[in-house]
Amino acid sequence: MEAYKQLSERGAEVARREYSDHVELAADFGPAQDIDVDVVGETVIVVTDGESYDIDVDGTPQAFIKNGVLTIELDEEADS
Amino acid sequence: MKLTVKPLKQKDAGRGLAAIDRQAMSEMELENGDYIIVKGDSGRTVARVWPGYPEDQGKGIVRIDGRLRKETGVGIDDTVNVEKADVQPATSLTVALPQNLRVRGNVGPMIRQNLSGQAVTQGQTVPVSFGLGPLSSMSGQRIPLKVANTEPGGTVVVTDSTEIEISEQPAEQLTDEEAKERETPSVTYEDIGGLDKELEQVREMIELPMRHPELFQQLGIEPPKGVLLHGPPGTGKTLMARAVANEIDAYFTDISGPEIMSKYYGESEEQMREVFEEAEENSPAVIFIDEIDSIAPKRGETSGDVERRVVAQLLSLMDGLEERGQVIVIGATNRVDAIDPALRRGGRFDREIEVGVPDKEGRKEILQVHTRGMPLVEGIDLDQYAESTHGFVGADIAGLTKEAAMNALRRIRPELDLEEDEIDADTLEKLQVTEQDFKHAMKGIEPSALREVFVEVPEITWEDVGGLEETKERLRETIQWPLEYPGVFEQMDMQAAKGVMMYGPPGTGKTLLAKAIANESQSNFISIKGPELLNKYVGESEKGVREVFEKARANAPTVVFFDEIDSIAGERGQHSGDSGVGERVVSQLLTELDGLEELEDVVVIATTNRPDLIDPALVRPGRLDRHIHVPVPDEEGRRKIFEVHTRGKPLADDVDLDELAEKTEGYVGADIEAVSREASMAATREFINSVDPDDVDDSVGNVRVTAAHFDQALEEVSASVDEETRERYEEIEDKFGRRDTDKAGENEVGRTFH
Repeated sequence: MEAYKQLSERGAEVARREYSDHVELAADFGPAQDIDVDVVGETVIVVTDGESYDIDVDGTPQAFIKNGVLTIELDEEADS
Repeated sequence: MKLTVKPLKQKDAGRGLAAIDRQAMSEMELENGDYIIVKGDSGRTVARVWPGYPEDQGKGIVRIDGRLRKETGVGIDDTVNVEKADVQPATSLTVALPQNLRVRGNVGPMIRQNLSGQAVTQGQTVPVSFGLGPLSSMSGQRIPLKVANTEPGGTVVVTDSTEIEISEQPAEQLTDEEAKERETPSVTYEDIGGLDKELEQVREMIELPMRHPELFQQLGIEPPKGVLLHGPPGTGKTLMARAVANEIDAYFTDISGPEIMSKYYGESEEQMREVFEEAEENSPAVIFIDEIDSIAPKRGETSGDVERRVVAQLLSLMDGLEERGQVIVIGATNRVDAIDPALRRGGRFDREIEVGVPDKEGRKEILQVHTRGMPLVEGIDLDQYAESTHGFVGADIAGLTKEAAMNALRRIRPELDLEEDEIDADTLEKLQVTEQDFKHAMKGIEPSALREVFVEVPEITWEDVGGLEETKERLRETIQWPLEYPGVFEQMDMQAAKGVMMYGPPGTGKTLLAKAIANESQSNFISIKGPELLNKYVGESEKGVREVFEKARANAPTVVFFDEIDSIAGERGQHSGDSGVGERVVSQLLTELDGLEELEDVVVIATTNRPDLIDPALVRPGRLDRHIHVPVPDEEGRRKIFEVHTRGKPLADDVDLDELAEKTEGYVGADIEAVSREASMAATREFINSVDPDDVDDSVGNVRVTAAHFDQALEEVSASVDEETRERYEEIEDKFGRRDTDKAGENEVGRTFH
């Protein structure tokens, strides 16, 4: 649950959903923000204007961001 | 794709999100964050996709908040058409402000901040909240803006780089529109937190018959005519009625008790009839009667002739010969017992819904609602406030957030120039509510439901109780377990203990234990000091007891704490001087503890140092069934108590707590506290007398409490429990182990012939 906490401390609205084959974390930063996301190994790197921070998760995540909504997908076994 | 509309959870509301379940998402090839167009019967809106709630899986549901529902012109359970939208980021946006807006300076950045992320179309009116949300009573102070022009055209989304221009021409018609909208309350379901179950019940009773009367025709039953909401003040009864009226788009009218009363004969009834007639003409309509107990008290008990006639009129209006059609009456009261019983039957108020005090989850939702429009600094943990606001009702939480916002306002007060009629936009932008503001506000707000009996939950944890391990363990089992593991108790078919009596010599820590348990069990805590229940009027003292338990039930889970219970629960049949008040209080206590009414999640803790004086009926199983002896501490216990009391003190190396514990045979917790205090006092005395007053602050760090100081203290404080007392308590403990019936019988005879 680390990632969940980390994201909500950043002021984002976070939702966690469990599906049959994977776990999904969605975080809303508001669409106006210019945010980029990158994945290196087990780390999701979120880059906002002038600032960047890492979010550690277990397992290899997939992440993408669209209109301010960050989505991190994790495989089933990994419980972030 | 057609989807069914449902309400969004409180925390997701107000962000322009639409939660769509996964199946629908993949069918439309949508991903989180995509823009969609939601089309209803009479409008359309743009939203961003948010992962659907797990319970919606595969049901074809889209969840949007009240604002989006209003824009699309749909209600809950309606169908909307959802499709993927192609939305461009806006490069520039021109908005028209209402004429009467009194803000000076460049409001552009503020508007951008407010609108950022929202998708707008030319000609649309968007509400924008300026500054402190909740200060502006429930989504009130929202300033409508008109989107005059967008670049590029079509539907665009406002981003941080969008240029906001203010149109030279103010939008005149906006002010009028605002005034008109006030007629029907603009409360949406998302503005209500923690009442999901109640809301569902109300909707079922009201929304269904109004939207689909044919359902009831098919079933051959009459649709319900009224709902009575009752519960403690401030829990959201009125808000709920308003939200329902708003969401189903019904005509809303309310009757306020004193308003319809008139000095002329028959006039009051006439006014009631008019309200009902008006509602009927505008049906579907909701008539809301707030504080219904004021106009419909029990007919037998009122003195006034007018009230009786008004009640009769209300009865016949609600269930008269004439069909009322699609008019539903919602009544609200916090004194449900004071209402005429004839109103409380089927066909009039068909259903009574209790609106209770919110639990932790509910409180969190309410906090989310009230802080939605508030500029909070990052890192404020609402969970923490939800946890620490036991017994708060919605109104208290609203008060709390308002107070916090006021604190923030106070901070920028000096920068404000009240003489000017406009406020600088920069100042407005600076307004932010901090953690500190919330903490200050917490101090000032007391939960209203518990106001009369409320005690702050003491900040004492198990750590602060030295020794008494066994006692602590037993208390934990009795009180904390049933609240924490209700499932286990259910599985084992076990009833939680209703009460605990702690007894033992004075000063052994009974009250301290009670405080610790109140803190650790995360319950509401009501503390009763015996004598304060007594009242000079006949019957009032018993009423006091009843009220305490009523409050406890309403605010469950609750720990009711009777300190020195022997003062109010002495054995019956012995006192004759107080005209039996004492006995009646005892009887009342007995019935409350083991009466017909179930005491759910209410635990009674009583302490006494004279358990032998307590009425035997009170300590039998089913009432105060757990008896816990809080003994004089043994050596090990004393050492731990010394540890607790010397935790913060600067001790010299020669102080040996084990030795101290050995020396203090017969000392109870209070004595040990006194010894520690005396020892530090002795050290302080020595220090202050020997040091120049000017140097005090510099050298205070070197002071140590030495063994000699403790010896001095031990001479001054003597053990408060001697061998005799201890034996007496051990005897009592034996007696409670196997309740001595013979002896009680003897006493009985003695008393009867006294």
